[in-house]
Amino acid sequence: MALRELSSLEKSLGLKKSNKYSTQGDGKVPVLQNSKGPALVGLVTIAGHLVREAKSPELLGRTAEQRAVVQQWLEYRVTRVDKCPKEEVKVVLKELNEYLQDKVYLAGNNFTLADTLMYYGLHGIVVSLAIQEKEQYLNVTRWFDHIQHYPGVRHHLPPVVVLRNRVYPGIHH
Amino acid sequence: MALNLIVNSSNPPLGALLAAEHVKGTVNVSVQEGKDTKLHVSDQVQFNDVNSITRYLARVAPSLGLYGSNMLEQTEVDHWLEFSVRRLCGQSKVAPALGELDRALALRTFLVGHSLTLADLCVWAALKGSGEWQAIQASKSGSFRHLYRWFSFLSSQAPFATVGNQWASKITASKAATDE
Repeated sequence: MALRELSSLEKSLGLKKSNKYSTQGDGKVPVLQNSKGPALVGLVTIAGHLVREAKSPELLGRTAEQRAVVQQWLEYRVTRVDKCPKEEVKVVLKELNEYLQDKVYLAGNNFTLADTLMYYGLHGIVVSLAIQEKEQYLNVTRWFDHIQHYPGVRHHLPPVVVLRNRVYPGIHH
Repeated sequence: MALNLIVNSSNPPLGALLAAEHVKGTVNVSVQEGKDTKLHVSDQVQFNDVNSITRYLARVAPSLGLYGSNMLEQTEVDHWLEFSVRRLCGQSKVAPALGELDRALALRTFLVGHSLTLADLCVWAALKGSGEWQAIQASKSGSFRHLYRWFSFLSSQAPFATVGNQWASKITASKAATDE
């Protein structure tokens, strides 16, 4: 899972040469053997390295505050989303839904690495939502649909059908 | 082909200025201040109406996709152009129109399709010049939250910020003068 994600990320960043990854331990933590230095371990670490290699540092945030917010969501992705037990999924969605009410991207008005990795991480969850649930988590759905249509992001993942108008306008948020 | 956009400096057409700002890297278009708003294409062809001007600019720069990417999107763009003129500009009560916009934006980042179109430019321009919308924004009432998100997202983008800083203050100034 993490390995396909990293190779999609390489393509979306426009990196020509793709790296070889291995995994470590039971949690299948990705490892990148670096020719210039020690091996890099962990999804977020490797992703951050790829972003710098692609010379797109703005994807890690433009200001000090934005960089902190990006790191926060990257950590949220690996600690909350990846290890999310079934009964916790709704809590995560509710949390995100409230957060995204007044935002287009996770870090505000700019697309960042946090959007890409959260999109990959949440894909399995959003795919399984019923239409009514997608509408209940309206802001998550809107953000997700925007990111899956963002140029070059989707790659290995199938598109999720999202209605553009509400079917259950009675539900309040 | 050099286009020349002349804008009425006491009531600048924000939508046309935004469209010009977006296409300027693709099309050679200059902006001048004058008495009446007009897009000078050639000695035979000139446009006076803001929607005609924005439509023409979007069509001469097809690579930018400002007019949508298929027939359905083009029709949606036309709908919002009409909407901004009839329901938002010069109306005394815009609240019902704002409610409609808010519902339309619940599941959308942009009004039409997945990228910026004339619909966003013209509706943003109409709201920017609307006293009622300014008052709602200032009151922080928490209503029209989807519209608020969309409006501040666009306002943060470079072309919108440029046009807003350069021209929107003139609208407020001329409105204040007529109200007195």
